[in-house]
Amino acid sequence: MDASHSGIQEPFDLIRLSLSERVFVKLRGDRELTGVLHAYDGHMNLILSDVEETIMIVDHVDGAPEGHATVNVAKRKMEMLFVRGDGVILVSPPSRT
Amino acid sequence: MSFFGFEQNNDLENEKRRFLEGGLSGAKQEDVAVYTWGEESYDGLGDALQEGGDELNDETFGAAEDIGKDFDFSGTALPEHQRAASHQLAQPPQGGSSQQQTSQTSQRASHLEPSHSSQLDAIWGNKSPFSVLPRSNGSSRAVDQLATQSPKYTHKPTSLNLGPDLHKGVHTLEEIEKEMLAAAAAQQLRQQQEVDEHSLQQELQELQLQERMLHQQHQLATPGLLQSPTRAHAQRPPAAAVGIQNTATPPPRMHPHSQSPRFHQQQQQHQIHLLQMQQQQQQQQRQLLELQEQRERQQRQQLLQLQEQLKLEELERQQQLRLQQQQLQEQQYIQNHLLHQRGISPALSDLHHRGMSPAMGERARRVGRQSPAIMSPQAPLDAPFAQNMQYLPQNIQMQQRLLAEMAQAEFLSTMQGPGHSERDLREARELQEMLRVEAMRKIMEAERMEEKRKRKLDKIAHMSRYNDLMTQSDKDFITRIQVSQLVTQDPYADDFYAQVYGAILRSRMGIATSEDRVLRFGSGGGVGLGLAQKVHGRRQGAMQRMEAQVERIVNNARLREKEKTSLNNLQGALGRTSGRSYKAAPRQLLQVDTSNVSTSPTTSHATAAHISKADSTKQEGEGAAREAAKMGREALATATEGLVRKDPLTHREALVKLEHLYDLVLDVEQRRRDQPPPEEVEEFEHWTVECNAIIDQIFDELMVSVPLETSHPHPFVSLITPIKGKKLLPRVARIFELQRMQVLLTLIVACFLQLDVVRQAPLLDSLEETREVKDLEVQTQAFQNSVVQSILPVIAKAQMRLVIGLFGILLDECTVHSIAMTRPGIALLTLFLSRVEVLRHNVATGSEVEELPTAEEMQRWHMMYNLLFDMIRPNLQLLFPSVRLALQANTSFVNVPNADVLDQPVWQFLATLAVHANEEQQQALVGGLREIVLENVATATKGWGNDSEERRRLRLANVNIFLHALGLDSSQITL
Repeated sequence: MDASHSGIQEPFDLIRLSLSERVFVKLRGDRELTGVLHAYDGHMNLILSDVEETIMIVDHVDGAPEGHATVNVAKRKMEMLFVRGDGVILVSPPSRT
Repeated sequence: MSFFGFEQNNDLENEKRRFLEGGLSGAKQEDVAVYTWGEESYDGLGDALQEGGDELNDETFGAAEDIGKDFDFSGTALPEHQRAASHQLAQPPQGGSSQQQTSQTSQRASHLEPSHSSQLDAIWGNKSPFSVLPRSNGSSRAVDQLATQSPKYTHKPTSLNLGPDLHKGVHTLEEIEKEMLAAAAAQQLRQQQEVDEHSLQQELQELQLQERMLHQQHQLATPGLLQSPTRAHAQRPPAAAVGIQNTATPPPRMHPHSQSPRFHQQQQQHQIHLLQMQQQQQQQQRQLLELQEQRERQQRQQLLQLQEQLKLEELERQQQLRLQQQQLQEQQYIQNHLLHQRGISPALSDLHHRGMSPAMGERARRVGRQSPAIMSPQAPLDAPFAQNMQYLPQNIQMQQRLLAEMAQAEFLSTMQGPGHSERDLREARELQEMLRVEAMRKIMEAERMEEKRKRKLDKIAHMSRYNDLMTQSDKDFITRIQVSQLVTQDPYADDFYAQVYGAILRSRMGIATSEDRVLRFGSGGGVGLGLAQKVHGRRQGAMQRMEAQVERIVNNARLREKEKTSLNNLQGALGRTSGRSYKAAPRQLLQVDTSNVSTSPTTSHATAAHISKADSTKQEGEGAAREAAKMGREALATATEGLVRKDPLTHREALVKLEHLYDLVLDVEQRRRDQPPPEEVEEFEHWTVECNAIIDQIFDELMVSVPLETSHPHPFVSLITPIKGKKLLPRVARIFELQRMQVLLTLIVACFLQLDVVRQAPLLDSLEETREVKDLEVQTQAFQNSVVQSILPVIAKAQMRLVIGLFGILLDECTVHSIAMTRPGIALLTLFLSRVEVLRHNVATGSEVEELPTAEEMQRWHMMYNLLFDMIRPNLQLLFPSVRLALQANTSFVNVPNADVLDQPVWQFLATLAVHANEEQQQALVGGLREIVLENVATATKGWGNDSEERRRLRLANVNIFLHALGLDSSQITL
């Protein structure tokens, strides 16, 4: 394959590769998304479909020693989601096993 | 009425209210007797007094010889009174500064004189709305000051104006007295002339006595007329009373005529009651009353015309009022009991201290009943004012308007006749009420409209502050800036979605306009105009104006550009500074050199392979060695033109390629839209060449013509593995000619087993809903909708030779049974079988004689068909997804959800299979499928599966598809 055809010149071109593919998005606030990427823009605003959001909730138990917090994981699914870009930490293809 | 208070402070308001509640609130505070003849609870005890107290009459009032003297007290009081009344009646239009002056003087006098009625009472008693109208002279202010400055006096409540008999007395008593005086004079005359008629004189004397008694009673019954706390000293000789009465004459403004109708309303009924009692007792008075009533009738008739419409409403209102009064009486009765239990109210005790007559005591007791200590705050007497109270929170402006209306109405009513009887007053009141309600409604409406208008004006005024701040050139400048941001080299592509959507909309609406909603500026630039504005009127005009303006600006800019390039622009160039263009983009943070792509690690072949996780696992150990071997083979391949085995495309490589392919496809599509008219031969040729070059590039990059053995999976298969690769095919199919599509089809068939949707198809035979299954389901649907749909027209046009060739490729793998167990496989097989059927049909009918299959080809076909049949014959039942699912789930296939929809393609495939089958094969088919057919028909016709009507119909239709191909029908099956 010819490298000159790849047309990858900037980071966003990498995100473009994942268009209409399933992506993993890490968000601020201990949230993660997996969904099919439909669109993005320069602010990293994303449009995702078939999204599953994973929220990590760290519960500090009263009286428990430091570092003994329990982590609860909440999940929810959405048909279509607009993700505002300022919350996006990373966008990557999902890990393939 | 209660409208007074709002200009004054709240204390006044409260005081007024308390006063009107019975004028008793003050009594508790000030220990001053208050006489309320007009109260509803008046039980007529005062009238009954007469019986016991007759002996003292002579002592109190002197002997009865001189008739005229008895009424003499009115000789001093009455003229004043009459003067005041006439004064007021004569002067109402002036609004009465003189009135107020008189009232001021009298109030001042009363202020100095403790025995006089309080000023506040005077203010309260002043029921005319004029009293609250804005006053420029200081008189009212003086009153206010008086009222506020001396609570001691203001809280001295006397029923000065409240006595219901007062105003009745003004009318009736005046007249009575006049008549009596006249009668007395006549009698005296007769006495002189006819001395012998002794008996008559006796009679007259009796009458006089009666009259005097009546008067006495009347005096007792109407403390308000005598208006004074001095009346508390009931034993006071008349002379003293007269003297005080003189000063106690109410100011003109307090004349009953000026009292508000509402107030009269309260008292009206007691007046009638008293009147009746008096009538019983006094015949003369009855006559007089009759006279009076005649007058009343005359006056009433004047008003009747106006009032007829409101009569009903008024009756209702009065009923309510009566009800209220009843309630009040009940409450008072209860309170009375309470009072007696508690002892005596301060007011009452005070009265006792003063040595009051029993009647007075009784009256005082009644007064005491109403002392605020006992009166609940929400006493029913509040009710008449409640209506007015509710306006208090509203803006004062409205109240003022209301008051103005009220004043007018009242004024009109006072104008109607000097001698107002109660009925007159009541009718006037009704009229006023009507007017008030009407006025209120109008005022509210006007108020709303005014507010609306005002808001609008405010808004306009607010906006107009900035009018003409910008000159036209300023506006143009800003518009230029804005437009310059919109102008692009490719207006259509930059407005792509709006354009396409607009085109779809237009075609749906039947408007066949192929032109794009794009404003082009010759030199390639332009502005996308988005969707056509459907809004008509102002907005459309604005849009058109904007377009025209944009065009003008762009043209001007172009002219300037031309000027610049011409030689002339050097003229006067010295000293001119070139302004920085607004188009100058800000310096970019990242300056990526587009020519130096090789620096990008992502595109490097080897690195990409390493990054790919799928590869990295395999290659980790032998990576270097393999790399070397591959490079050697590649070098060899270029020399030998032979096969070059490559690593299959990684997922990411495929994605990169796909993105590039999409770019190319979009480019071609754009170029197709920009197709120049065929008349311009040179341009058209140029366009054709360019387009074909791109299409060639696409074909190359799809790697369709790469030898099959290059890699496994084939690069093309890798390309259509992502969903967007599958979705690319229909778009590519549109720009590829048939031959290229046939190559593509051949490749797909040849690599059919490599396709993800075929390889992973067994995953779908599961009822689990994992992400993989779901994704595969989506992929399969995309394959059916995109890939199969794009190769369908190719197969539909394929020759027998091609079909046999492709069929041969499929069978060659000896995996038809596994292919047939996938949805794409069934679809492909069905396509081939039906195409052959069409071809055979063509042979039979002789139509479409283009390239009839030769006999040899038919021979080969039969051979291959038999091969196919033999291969799938053992597992006929397993072709059905529902059966496979049922096997996994250990249930009956009819219980598989959505089984009929899943099975439908299989039934269709079996039908096409049956069409080609010979008799023996048909029997084999029926034998293999007998169970399923029977089960389906049974559940469909007998509804064993508790399925919906729709599902059963679909199930039957599925079976029939197959049975019809055999020349059978489900109805022939008897269960």
